[in-house]
Amino acid sequence: MAGATNMFFMGKGGVGKSTAAALNSLFLAQKGFQILIVSLDPAHNQSDIFETSLSDKPTKIADNLMGIEIDQDYWIRRYLKDVQNQIKRTYSYLTSFNLEKYFEVIKYSPGLEEYALILVFKDIMQKFGHLDFLMFDMPPTALGLRFFTLPTLSLIWIEQLVALRQEIIKKRDLITKVKLIKKEVETDKILNKINEMKKDYQNLKDIFEDSNQTLINIVLNPDKLSLAESTRIVEALHDINITCSQIINNKMQLHSSCDDINTTFSDIPICQCPYSETQLIGLTNLEQFLKANDSVLEEQVNHLLPSAAEK
Amino acid sequence: MTKREHTIILLLVIEMKPIVKTIKDKLLEAWKVADGVARGKAIETIEFEAEELDHIFGILVLASFVGLPSPPMQISLDLMPLMEQELMLMMEKVDTAHEPISDLFSVFDIG
Repeated sequence: MAGATNMFFMGKGGVGKSTAAALNSLFLAQKGFQILIVSLDPAHNQSDIFETSLSDKPTKIADNLMGIEIDQDYWIRRYLKDVQNQIKRTYSYLTSFNLEKYFEVIKYSPGLEEYALILVFKDIMQKFGHLDFLMFDMPPTALGLRFFTLPTLSLIWIEQLVALRQEIIKKRDLITKVKLIKKEVETDKILNKINEMKKDYQNLKDIFEDSNQTLINIVLNPDKLSLAESTRIVEALHDINITCSQIINNKMQLHSSCDDINTTFSDIPICQCPYSETQLIGLTNLEQFLKANDSVLEEQVNHLLPSAAEK
Repeated sequence: MTKREHTIILLLVIEMKPIVKTIKDKLLEAWKVADGVARGKAIETIEFEAEELDHIFGILVLASFVGLPSPPMQISLDLMPLMEQELMLMMEKVDTAHEPISDLFSVFDIG
């Protein structure tokens, strides 16, 4: 397999997306794939589910399976520190300026949470891209959707900024020509930076839109509220050209009706995952559940990656 | 022409040479100044336009710091270290912000 496949688990709070991510990770690890499960949810349930203390360094959970928990605040702090240092280096007249005070406020700015997740995603892809699967246990819906929207939204702004910058450069070139000043060889640093950013966001957008690299699982329960929220997630992702790979109808019981779910998501593969009488906590319980419901997980993997089930 | 007359003319030409050169240099200098002034006048409006565009760019990117709608925060923060000139311009513009018409009049030399 060329490069890691990114698998995301999204859904309403409490539907069992962390458990679904854990079960899928363990199942694929048992099949012999190299897996890293990444908890992007600030609630960090993976440590509890696997009863293993996870940190920002990969920790072995089982054979072929490692886990990481992300400290979002750390990534925001690290990013702001970088910007602060760059500003200090370039703005010589601001040496007496109390930048720390301003950046203390900026860290609460809207938009930085999802950007921290993007930084984490890029870092994980770079460091663990050689593995077979990167499984992302996503934060609550609002933040999860903002994470996927960020590249598209940023590209809209960047397009406008590039156009304006090119207009400025055109005018400056004209001034240089008329004034017969020796043309500066140095290119526009701002335009270079914007183009660099554009390439970066386009790359992320391409990864999210490519259903061979990105598989999105929507986890829901057979109830109206989680169905309504899942519908909104699928629509919001569809608006930015991202398709959902699978619906996991979790905690299914004998009397549960899934007619509404089947009708609503008629064009997306749906997998029924049974309700577990025992709490799915600890490796032993998870393995027992997998043993008892091997066909269910097999079906899930078949939906996502026909070739994966064959391994 | 006699030999004497020829010699006088030759001496005159030799004597005149530096004067002609000085006149030529002065004329060239005057032409350069006039050319510079003309070129300066010709692009005054373009320079003002470029400065205004710089200002718009600055406001667009760094607007969140003065409470205006702005791009996603990370775009502003990533570009901020490179925008010293735009920031200075924004600060300068604060002085003329209350009299935009007078600022425009000064560009078109309307007194």
